[in-house]
Amino acid sequence: MVSLKEIVPAAQNNIDTKFILLDKGSKTIEGHNKTCLALVADETAAVHFQLWGDECDAFEPGDIIQLANGIFSYNRNSLVLRAGKRGRVEKVGEFTMVFVETPNLSEIHWVPDPNNSKKYIQDAVISPHSRIFPPKY
Amino acid sequence: MALNLIRIASHEAENPVGCSLKEAFELLEPKLRPPLAITIPTPQEYLLLNKAILYGVLCETHFAKTHIKHLHAIVIDGYGLFASLIATVVNELYTKLVDPVKCQLIWVTKEMIDVQAVGIHGLLVCFLRQIVGGDFSDGNLWLCFEIVSIFLTKWDSLLEVEPMILTSGLYTYLPLLADHYRLLSNPKLEALKQLEIDFCIKVLREQFSVCLKIGRDLVRLLQDVVHIPNFRATWKDLVLNQDKFKTPGFSVISQLYNTRTSSQYILLRISPEMETQLRFLLTCVKLGSQKRYQAWFAKKFLCAPNRETLIVDIVRFICCAHHPPNEIIQSDIIPRWAVVGWLLKYCTKNYVQANVKLALLYDWLFFDERVDNIMNIEPAMLLMVYSIPRYIDVTHTLLEFLFLLVDNYDVEHKDIIIRGVSSSLRVLVKKGVICSLDVLTSCDALSPVLKERLDRFLSGAELEISRG
Repeated sequence: MVSLKEIVPAAQNNIDTKFILLDKGSKTIEGHNKTCLALVADETAAVHFQLWGDECDAFEPGDIIQLANGIFSYNRNSLVLRAGKRGRVEKVGEFTMVFVETPNLSEIHWVPDPNNSKKYIQDAVISPHSRIFPPKY
Repeated sequence: MALNLIRIASHEAENPVGCSLKEAFELLEPKLRPPLAITIPTPQEYLLLNKAILYGVLCETHFAKTHIKHLHAIVIDGYGLFASLIATVVNELYTKLVDPVKCQLIWVTKEMIDVQAVGIHGLLVCFLRQIVGGDFSDGNLWLCFEIVSIFLTKWDSLLEVEPMILTSGLYTYLPLLADHYRLLSNPKLEALKQLEIDFCIKVLREQFSVCLKIGRDLVRLLQDVVHIPNFRATWKDLVLNQDKFKTPGFSVISQLYNTRTSSQYILLRISPEMETQLRFLLTCVKLGSQKRYQAWFAKKFLCAPNRETLIVDIVRFICCAHHPPNEIIQSDIIPRWAVVGWLLKYCTKNYVQANVKLALLYDWLFFDERVDNIMNIEPAMLLMVYSIPRYIDVTHTLLEFLFLLVDNYDVEHKDIIIRGVSSSLRVLVKKGVICSLDVLTSCDALSPVLKERLDRFLSGAELEISRG
């Protein structure tokens, strides 16, 4: 299990983590499936999470979610965390988790590591908070 | 066919309590079928067998009697373990259980009362805490009905085991009755209301000496039901005629006022899930980050119509049952007064707001340094002080309400109340909760009328007059 701050974009389904869902956007149709963008966070960072298919209705703000074998990568030009075909999300609780809304990993510009072209490193902060789900309060 | 124990929504993790019961059942299933072979189990086997039998009782309704016979044959601990397993199911799974399993849970609880199981009081408390104030859904009304029926039909057994159980029931059902009476013309409620009245009156009339142990919150709850036929008469009889309870020099009422209500009673009105979330909010969430949590809490527990009355109980919980240690008080965690301020603003109905203010200031009225805890009166004081100057209307409304209570709450016992409020103010300064009352008396934003009243009160003049 890793904390959100530790994840970096990669084409691998290997992220096991836990977070709390803070906000949900409206559902859209992508191909034949529903998707829905959500803001999720743990005590180290926040990130955009893409809910897919029936996941869109299964989770509500305040739910604590465990992700197994997730992937953090570009999807149609935006950087999102998601379960993907091989991963799994499960509601494991509600409410009792602390979180931060900054940094938001989806609002960071990542570049290939000059020493290891397969890896990404942080280049610049685009926005400290989510621009899609601006801080409400 | 065995039922499922709980409903699991899509993408919801398995529940550990449910799983452990099911695993025990699946492991021991062959041994649960007649003819039963009774052997002397090791403690580990005994635990497993109790779990398996409970799962059988709950999920195999058609074999429930066989499973209970099995339990009677193997029990060696006065049913203590079995009752504690039922309590765990009620505490952790109740809202998720499928309806037939809820019926079985009530049935097996009655069986446990009949055998006077160890821990039956605790088990009934678990059920009482699942009854939600202000919730008129069929499921909640069903639970109210089943539990009050248990209290009435099993009265003698319960009285024999532990008369205090009845006071827990009374503490739960008085405010429910107030709720149920407020909602006019609902035929579904009529039968339930009658049972609730019968039960509450029976406890008050027949077990009043035990009721006295509830303490001052009993008076607060009774005030909300005195308009219901029978209650006014019962209350008057108790207060005026029960000479045997009177200590020389003290009326029954003053005896109640002088007894601080134990947090065990306060917790009866708060479900375990609500308690977990409130304690998390007040232990882990930093001031400034609370808004999302408050919105989630409100959506889950307060949004439905009529749920507002619950805020009264939540404020009592915060004042009397959640006392954070100094490390939390000195940290940047959201303080209790701020949560109370939010809840006060959340009330839309006047009578709820009045009851919330009463809940917040209630211990002020009878405060006695020797028996009372300063933590019960601290939130109201800090809310008044920290609302200056931005939310001065909060300071006004609370101070005004405090003097309204001094003048009108109980004119017969005005001396007690003046003494209580005076010592509250004195002790709050003495113990350093606030440096001085100047923050109120010299506050420019505070209305001159209130300042003058406060000055007069602090000068001790009212205390002198009340002493006659």
